[in-house]
Amino acid sequence: MSSKQGKGGAAAKAKKPTKAGTEEKREDVLQAVVLADSFQDRFKPFTVEKPRCLLPLAGVPIIEYTLEFLASNGVQEVFIYCGAHSEEIETYIHDSPRWSPNNILTPFTSLDFIRVSDATSVGDFLRDLDKRNLISGDFVLVHGDLVANIPLDAALTKHRERREANRDACMTMVLREIGEQPHRAAKARVITPIFAVEPSTGRCLQYDEMHPLQEDHYANLDPSLFKHPEFELRSDLVDCGIDICTPDMLALWSESFDYELPRKNFLHGVLKDWELNGKFIYTEIVDKGYAARASNLQMYDCISRDILERWTFPYVPDTNMVHGQSFRRIREGSCLEDSVIITRGSKVTKSVLGRSTTVGAGCTVTKSVIGRRCKIGKNVTIENSYIWDDAVIADGSSVAHSILANSVMVGEGSQIPPGSLLSYNVRIGDRTNLKPKPTPRISLFDHDRHPVVTDTSLVGEGGKGTLYQETLGGDDDSEDEEADPAILQTTLLYSLENLNLSSSSISTLASTDSFDSDQGDSHAGSYAAGDFGESRSRLSSFASYDSAAGVSKSDAFHSDAVHGLLDALRADDSDDFDSAKLEFMGLRLANNASDSSMRRAVAVAFVKRASELLSPENGGLEPTKAAETSLTSKRGAVKFIKEVGVGGDKPAIQAEFALALQKALLGVKGLEVARAGALLAAILQQLYNLDVLEEEGILAWWGDKRASENENLSKVKEKCHVLVEWLENADEEDSDEDEDDSD
Amino acid sequence: MAPSQASYAPSLGKLLKSLNGQTLEASIESLIYLLKRRQIKGDDCADATAHLLRQVVAKSKWSDVDQLLTRVQNVGSRLAQAAPHEPTIGNIVRRVMGLIRDEASEDRNADDFGSESVEDIQTLSVNAPQPPKPAPFTSRPPTLATVASFHASKAKSMFNLLSVADTLDSPATGASTPMSQAQPTSVSALRSEVLDGINEIMDEISQADDQIASFAEVQIQPGDFVLAYLPSRTVERFLVKASARRRFTIFIASLEPPQASSSNDPYAALRKKLNAGGVKMVSIASNGLMAYMSRVNKVIFSAKAVYQNGGLLVDSGASVAAQAAHAYAKPVIALGGVFKFCPEDPSDEIAGETGDSSSYVSYADGSKVDALEVENTVADYVPPELVDVYLTNLGPQTRHHLASIMADHYKPEDVGFSLIPGEV
Repeated sequence: MSSKQGKGGAAAKAKKPTKAGTEEKREDVLQAVVLADSFQDRFKPFTVEKPRCLLPLAGVPIIEYTLEFLASNGVQEVFIYCGAHSEEIETYIHDSPRWSPNNILTPFTSLDFIRVSDATSVGDFLRDLDKRNLISGDFVLVHGDLVANIPLDAALTKHRERREANRDACMTMVLREIGEQPHRAAKARVITPIFAVEPSTGRCLQYDEMHPLQEDHYANLDPSLFKHPEFELRSDLVDCGIDICTPDMLALWSESFDYELPRKNFLHGVLKDWELNGKFIYTEIVDKGYAARASNLQMYDCISRDILERWTFPYVPDTNMVHGQSFRRIREGSCLEDSVIITRGSKVTKSVLGRSTTVGAGCTVTKSVIGRRCKIGKNVTIENSYIWDDAVIADGSSVAHSILANSVMVGEGSQIPPGSLLSYNVRIGDRTNLKPKPTPRISLFDHDRHPVVTDTSLVGEGGKGTLYQETLGGDDDSEDEEADPAILQTTLLYSLENLNLSSSSISTLASTDSFDSDQGDSHAGSYAAGDFGESRSRLSSFASYDSAAGVSKSDAFHSDAVHGLLDALRADDSDDFDSAKLEFMGLRLANNASDSSMRRAVAVAFVKRASELLSPENGGLEPTKAAETSLTSKRGAVKFIKEVGVGGDKPAIQAEFALALQKALLGVKGLEVARAGALLAAILQQLYNLDVLEEEGILAWWGDKRASENENLSKVKEKCHVLVEWLENADEEDSDEDEDDSD
Repeated sequence: MAPSQASYAPSLGKLLKSLNGQTLEASIESLIYLLKRRQIKGDDCADATAHLLRQVVAKSKWSDVDQLLTRVQNVGSRLAQAAPHEPTIGNIVRRVMGLIRDEASEDRNADDFGSESVEDIQTLSVNAPQPPKPAPFTSRPPTLATVASFHASKAKSMFNLLSVADTLDSPATGASTPMSQAQPTSVSALRSEVLDGINEIMDEISQADDQIASFAEVQIQPGDFVLAYLPSRTVERFLVKASARRRFTIFIASLEPPQASSSNDPYAALRKKLNAGGVKMVSIASNGLMAYMSRVNKVIFSAKAVYQNGGLLVDSGASVAAQAAHAYAKPVIALGGVFKFCPEDPSDEIAGETGDSSSYVSYADGSKVDALEVENTVADYVPPELVDVYLTNLGPQTRHHLASIMADHYKPEDVGFSLIPGEV
């Protein structure tokens, strides 16, 4: 990694002089880069054993659709980036009669694999690509899970014209419109991309993402957006990840070494720093044709249905895109391959059945895909399910809306409830009814590919497999940001059950530059979103304010910031606070945190520290002493609170900080209300003495209705009564003597 | 720079350009996928097939007629299987196979100075032990060289014709084995003759539209009201030709309701040409065409294929138009070159071909996508009794003459060629 950045820069420089020459010479060769690994866990447990792009989608590995899409658009040179399971992908392609680079029949003049051993994100791939200097002109960047039939010619021509007019037009994203009504593809993608687009030119001005679990349903608009005469905010676009890029775009990746995701990080960042890099990114919005990425299980489900309903034409089973396929379409919308036996008396509708599959008498198969050589017994009901090759489903079973991987066996009279994911070779015993909760996600391996012990209480007598344990958000930091919507993306069924959501839309826009009490209000509400289990009420659930799990998921910035500050406050060996401050500011910039979330983080950090000092193991200090130690033990901490935490002299702003402190105190675990009140009074007094808070600010807080919204808040507030009275009557000469009274 | 490369997407034009540079097998493969991806469809299929079979004859190695026939049949059945919805592919393959058989029997007759009957030759060649097949995937030198070698061999055979004595003098000649000696010359001669024949077929395909159009004046009378259902290239040319000499009114039935804005009018060019000739063109929606039927004098559409029984494979919806015309006792004229005549009976499967759902319902319409099941049948079958005139490049025909045209163009032994699985 370390050498890469240096080299990347050098390569980018070295490329400049040679580029003009090569570009002229090879202008008519279209290149494409396929990202065959997305570094996500959304298809677990299936992807434990097989890469995502080789999972069958309506009987055909997903990558076939992607490569066929490239071939249909006249791409000649393809580079495939593989991460996990790279050998399997390479073997598959090399054995494929159509794509094998050794075969003269392949539509591509070259197809190369690139392995990057230490890549941990898509960003690493693209930085590596920049270093390699393989790309000579415009190229198409796609993901290995793309299903599309859109002709790219129009977009390519427009892109070329723009690039010739202006060298800084470095990328064109192809987006598919899906209308404003609720759409299954929109629901399945979970994350809603929001593009701010200049309608006349198609230039993309800002990019953001939203998902149903986020606390505030706002998209923050960059004020500079309003300098444009007109722009559209669009959330009705399916981002299928087809980008037409110039090599300059790769240089941008190299310049920003910490970008990982092509949209959330790269696009958002490049557009935000437009004034620095001066690059233009355009959108090509198409309203015809089909394009989608099987980016999660729900998209897999959605695309499979689209294929069955022929939206993806000509990429439908009876086109027989892959060598050796022989699907034929029969009445009732099903596609069957050779030697499929459907016993008389069974109903098969709108389904795809692979070669040599047998279906016994009395079965009902609807809207399902069944692979090759499957054996379906008698009186089986299969609905909306995807059953891969060699599966056996014994008599009298039923399978609903599930995915059954290769060689799964389901015993007699068993029931597979909706949302089940049965991985390779799992066996369900006879007369076993899987429980729908927790979602049956059964595998023979754990996430590190170690075999697991069979759990017979789950899979029944004679069964094999156990519940696959998720490792969501557990191991690395980059996952934390994704963790929230990822909960939705790892299931087959889109369900917002158990998740309390408000259903506001993006139509309300919060402007970043105006700061008023309204925004504070919305954040007060957002504290409650931390705990999904409780009902979303703005009044009652402040208890979840800082419950570690909930908040770390809902607000990465908050948890990171609080941890950072706490560590600095706890540190015994140094009394330096500057580095913590620096780190905090860095986090703030990286996350574009609002003033109120910063205030909240600072308040929580200091309150936590103070309450720790109260506890016996940390010395069991008195509230006054604890408040003083937490605030003053580190050099610069007070200044930090004044500048960053409070951030202004206005009474309203100071009152906000006091309110944040009050709420933070209630969130601290194991601190009874009375003591919390005492601590609050002590902290406020300290802050007053340190000139951080002024009299007007504290009084404004005292008068604020939000400070006494519920019982606990009022109780805590009551404890400060003395302090406030004292402040109200304060004369200049009273200072230190009355300190004890205020407790 | 920009116009020089308007598009990257493969197409028929690009395929034809690349035919000479590519190996034969690669050309076959790319045509198969162009067909599968519907990047070549309709009348272009016939053209593409003829071009490709020309390459098969020119490039593949074969030492006798049977090998050539097997080769053509293999490639042909692969193409036909790739696009079962395009019966014209099979027609061209049959035509080429018939052509080879004809040329071969003529050749042998000539070689043997008519001493043996055609039947004998055929049984002989069938029973003759076949030499081991050359590897079909061997890459061949580019066609330029091949063509040159043709010329050389052709010249040689001409030479041979003129100077019989020279050939007799050549040391390789043995009086006892006339066949083996005759083979090399006859292979190259046969090759060039077959290639000429295929060129003729290609000419026929390309000229069919013009020839059909030349009958326009006869079919369309002044003051006629003509309904054209989804006019294809053939029909458009026919109408334009008619408009040069006749004043009539044309109703164009299209799938979408006529648009107020001319920007997305698919028939804008046609309208311009027809207006230039003083012909009024009225666009109507296909689902409302019945209302106009009482005013219409004749209904015209082009056939994708004409079956043995006289039934037609047409664009979906044309069947309704034909039935409406039948109910009003208006003549129905089906346009289609002879190369669209299929010596087969219609099969359920082909007429039931379903296409892209999004041509009727936009995928963007979420509620419809969820609620509806869209079956877009691409093609329709028109039963023979609804068709009055088959207007081919050989002139107008009736149903009763179709059999003789089929017999003229196809050999009975080639009819079921695609049932024999090709070597893939």
